[in-house]
Amino acid sequence: MKTRWRRRIRNSTLFLAIVVLVVSLFTAMQTALWNTTVYSGWFLAGLVVLLASYNLYKKVPFLPLGSSSTWMQIHIYAGFLTAIVFPLHSGFRVPNGFFELVLAMFFLLVFTSGVVGLFLTRTLPPRLATRSEEAIYEKIPGLIHRLKTEVEEIVFGCISETETAAVPEFYMRRLKPFFEQPRYFWSHLFHSERAFKTLLTDIGEQNRFLNETEQEAMKNISQRVAVKNDLDYQYALQSTLKYWLFLHVPFTYGLSILIVFHVLLVYAFSGVAS
Amino acid sequence: MEKGTAAIPRPKRWDIPFSQEREGDRLVTDDDVNRLLGISPFCDLDIAGFKRSLPLRGILKNDTRFLDCETGDIIVREGDWGNSAFFILSGSVRVELVSSGSSLSPSILGRGESRKKSFFEVLSQLWSNHKEPEFRSTTTRSSSKTLSRGAGENTRIYLEDVSAVLSEIQTATIDAGQWFGEIAALGRSPRVATVFTDSPSEILEIRWQGLRDIMRNDRDGSLKNYIEEVFRSRALASFLRNLPIFRHVSEEDMSELVARAEFESFGNYDSAKPFSGSNKKDSRDLVELEPIVAREGDHNDSVILVRSGLARIARRHYNGHRTLSYLMPGRAFGVPEALQSWETKSSVPLSSSLSAIGYLNVVKIPVTLIERFVFQQRPTKKLLSSEADEDFKKFTPKEIDGDLMDFLVDRRFVQGTATMIIDMDRCTRCDDCVRACATAHDNNPRFIRQGPTHSHFMIATSCMHCIDPVCMIECPTGAIHRNLEHGEVEINDPTCIGCMRCANNCPYNAISMAEIRDANGNFYVDEQSRPLMKATKCDLCLEQWGGPACQRACPHDALTRVDMRDMIGLGEVLNR
Repeated sequence: MKTRWRRRIRNSTLFLAIVVLVVSLFTAMQTALWNTTVYSGWFLAGLVVLLASYNLYKKVPFLPLGSSSTWMQIHIYAGFLTAIVFPLHSGFRVPNGFFELVLAMFFLLVFTSGVVGLFLTRTLPPRLATRSEEAIYEKIPGLIHRLKTEVEEIVFGCISETETAAVPEFYMRRLKPFFEQPRYFWSHLFHSERAFKTLLTDIGEQNRFLNETEQEAMKNISQRVAVKNDLDYQYALQSTLKYWLFLHVPFTYGLSILIVFHVLLVYAFSGVAS
Repeated sequence: MEKGTAAIPRPKRWDIPFSQEREGDRLVTDDDVNRLLGISPFCDLDIAGFKRSLPLRGILKNDTRFLDCETGDIIVREGDWGNSAFFILSGSVRVELVSSGSSLSPSILGRGESRKKSFFEVLSQLWSNHKEPEFRSTTTRSSSKTLSRGAGENTRIYLEDVSAVLSEIQTATIDAGQWFGEIAALGRSPRVATVFTDSPSEILEIRWQGLRDIMRNDRDGSLKNYIEEVFRSRALASFLRNLPIFRHVSEEDMSELVARAEFESFGNYDSAKPFSGSNKKDSRDLVELEPIVAREGDHNDSVILVRSGLARIARRHYNGHRTLSYLMPGRAFGVPEALQSWETKSSVPLSSSLSAIGYLNVVKIPVTLIERFVFQQRPTKKLLSSEADEDFKKFTPKEIDGDLMDFLVDRRFVQGTATMIIDMDRCTRCDDCVRACATAHDNNPRFIRQGPTHSHFMIATSCMHCIDPVCMIECPTGAIHRNLEHGEVEINDPTCIGCMRCANNCPYNAISMAEIRDANGNFYVDEQSRPLMKATKCDLCLEQWGGPACQRACPHDALTRVDMRDMIGLGEVLNR
């Protein structure tokens, strides 16, 4: 059996065992008429601290604190555990106070963005690996600019050689916006080729208006259009992989602050301390 | 516009004589050649035996250079890689006698003291890393204990107090008229001892190619015999003992094996330089271009043991070849067939071909001796058979896709002891690996997360810490060296003079030259206002705790440093 499946089975089994233990403990405590909300609350807060500490771990990669992949596994399964503990803590009901509602919303946002992120990190890399040559994200704008310069050289070459404006006119109307910046973000993300195919069709349809030299030039441009489209694909998917964290992490900070307030409020007004 | 041509003289082997390769070396003149031809062993060589295109005089004039050494000059250091041999013309040298590891301090030898950072030093990287890239302090630059003479490529490090050193370490003297360094040069293996002069000496350094051609054309064969006998007497027995099949051979039988072993070399010694161009050819071409050591289907008359270099095991596949595996130094070829022949009492032909990837140095042991001293001496045939089978399976992994194996071997990534393989199906391009690397190296990343890709595996541009580190061959100060404790190839920054030899020699572009700066970001420049450079590369986080930061920082287990000698480990990484 492959290593990743062995690990997945082992971790899932451990996770299920912990879930059973937590739920059993919670039920037992309720039966014994303990104040389970306090214990589940602290447990949940502890889980959130554990989850947030992964971000701190990344700041000190040189410390011997285990591998990042181990932390990631703990992060994933602890994250799923919060989805079990949170309803136990809130008593399976929608919070009725404004503050509690905001707190619950933040929890949902952090959890959902985490699950979405997990889905993205598992599905987008294989798609990137199967499409064109790998480009470093930060270099993509530079590569696009280089392509644009090459295409403009071809277009200018057409003007001087053929003295007609068919290619330059088409470039200005249809291709310039395409080469200006990364395009078709959503199409690439959702695996749709419609926009790109439309562009290719438009390029193909130009051929009947072009002489041989211009057709040759358009062929060269088409090759660069294909390369640009691949770069756009890389850009769209790599952007998504990078920027989903810009939702997940700030929401986590927000949640952490709200949890601190929540604890203070609980201890100040609900009489738990007494 | 039509493309024109420009006529230039066709480059020839001796366009740049060895004595002109470095600035400041004494040019070898005709008078020098006459002088050499008057002394043994050169006067004993039969000039008529040499080809007109490759005369002895030409070899001596173009493939040699004189080293005028002062007392204490270090000629070679244990662990260095070198492609030249030395002949003492006058004076004498001392060779350090140690079983493992030089007693001389690494800093004296131009190497850095390798040590792990303390916990506080590790933690302090959080705030003490410099904002400016490639910062170097002037105190670090001058604190090296290494003493050097000369400048640029002609720099030579030396021992200050030779008599004190001689009283501390055990040495043997090599006097005028004797060779040293020839086994490492011809076998492409690391130098086994440190050699330094104990008096002003004149030493003739000869390129590997020159020495090879003298040996080839020497009708009498005295020099070839001398060098082979040196290896046979000093190192062959221990080399054979390291191979599993010879572990049980008695001392007496081993002596006969040693006496009857044959040596052979294949391929191009300087193959590291042009091979990056050959990467573009398809694998079928590459296999056919490689020198064949043993051909599939041929009668197996000897077991082949790889002494140095790299060999490909391939099997014919339609009109091309499929790479099955590769052999590293210390591995054997032809054992299963020899065993089967012995068991069935019939001739079993070789089931695959063995070819040299680049340069290959092998030892051949006749099958008749293997049958007598190995097969007949083992307790049961079954045990022997299963051992040989297991050994073969271990090094012919079926779980590695054939195309991928071709890719790894063709591009010689199998040279690596820490090849960075990234599974692009798992890599989220988060660059945590690059950031961790930078944090561990004063905010300077030491690799590029880009490189050749096959299927979904990328071999990133990072030092692989090669088995045969060609980057080390021409370093004038020995700043780039192999860590004798762990084997990693590292650069001692204070003794690096920025000559770029290592960076130019690395076939994988894994060494970068960095323009160094002070704390304010100003570039250091020399007297002619040229920026000072240092060679930089991955050091496998030798100073850090817990191993390479890049691997530890990968959240998805996508990045792995793989020792390509461990094929089972490689198979596991590629099939997770």
